[in-house]
Amino acid sequence: MLLVLSEEQKAHLGCLPRTGGAAIGELGRLAVELLRRGAAPRACEAAARKLNIDVDTIKHGIEGLTYLLTESSKLMISEIDFQDSIHVLGFSGELNKLLLQLYLDNRKEIRSILSELAPKLPSYHSLEWRLDVQLASRSLRQQIKPAVTIKLHLSQDEDQTAQVLQTDPSTLLHLIQQLEQALGEMKTNHCRRIVRNMK
Amino acid sequence: QRFRFCGDLDCPDWVLAEISTLAKISSVKLKLICAQVLRDLLGEAIEYEKILKLTSDAKLESGDVKATIAVLGFILSSAAKHNVDSESLSSELQQLGLPKEHTSGLCRSYEEKQSSLQDRLRACSLRLSRLGSVCWRVDYTLSSSELREVNEPLVHLTFTVRDGEHGRTETVPMAVSANKFRVLLA
Repeated sequence: MLLVLSEEQKAHLGCLPRTGGAAIGELGRLAVELLRRGAAPRACEAAARKLNIDVDTIKHGIEGLTYLLTESSKLMISEIDFQDSIHVLGFSGELNKLLLQLYLDNRKEIRSILSELAPKLPSYHSLEWRLDVQLASRSLRQQIKPAVTIKLHLSQDEDQTAQVLQTDPSTLLHLIQQLEQALGEMKTNHCRRIVRNMK
Repeated sequence: QRFRFCGDLDCPDWVLAEISTLAKISSVKLKLICAQVLRDLLGEAIEYEKILKLTSDAKLESGDVKATIAVLGFILSSAAKHNVDSESLSSELQQLGLPKEHTSGLCRSYEEKQSSLQDRLRACSLRLSRLGSVCWRVDYTLSSSELREVNEPLVHLTFTVRDGEHGRTETVPMAVSANKFRVLLA
């Protein structure tokens, strides 16, 4: 599968041959840092001064490299496809090898960063419960009515919400039984076959 | 094998694994670390630097220090939760392999603080909201735009409700007519 680069990105990456081999390493490192931590304008300015190129060209070069790395890691393209994709830029063989090495070294880390960007549902944080017995109410005296009160704490991207639920013990047992049946599905032949094929 | 301090269930594997870490610390230092963990369970601030100093002799790594605090916290709070007396806790911990001096130090600290620990756990139990205060005022309506002579008393009530976990207070104001208020009080 080949990567398609737009004209603008080709122009951005066009600055790379001018900078020279050692600089490519530096720009590659800045590109990966951009993915790890976000923009670092001061680092870009320091690199621009060191390499004697103006800041905007450096910034575009890093952005182009970042796009190249993220798209390649996202699609998990093979070495040959990566080399064919950057061939269109017309760089020297040595530069192509450097870029390929940069891609292969950082691929795993970039993929783990990208996996955290997927949308998430609220996830379980903790559960508090309480068992009560209702003895009397305004309408009826001398009762015995057990109830389980549950406070479910959920968290979603640093937001915490709490949901209060109340049920009687027999419904709770039924709920537990349904959940155990759901877990039991993993042991059926159908699921086992799929899990084996996924491995 | 079932343990009372685990609620008549099997002891969790991680607790079994950390018992050997506890045995590496001297029994005197373990009692002092217990005192710190009890402070944390009772809601006071824990002094982590003191614990680091106490564990430095045993040459524990930082992961082991945290594991020690976690396992002591589990043992003490779980024993209080299931109302285990100090002798039963002592015999069960010795069954798990904790040496006798360490066990007796731990159980003595537990015994001193058992009732305050249980009070604290009772206070932390799930509670949905609490009534903070009630304010009231009785007005007497003389007349209104609808009727010239009304002459009716009106009760204003304001309930202050505290949400247990966030500490937020919510005020619920309401106005009740005299008849309805009599029904409420009945």
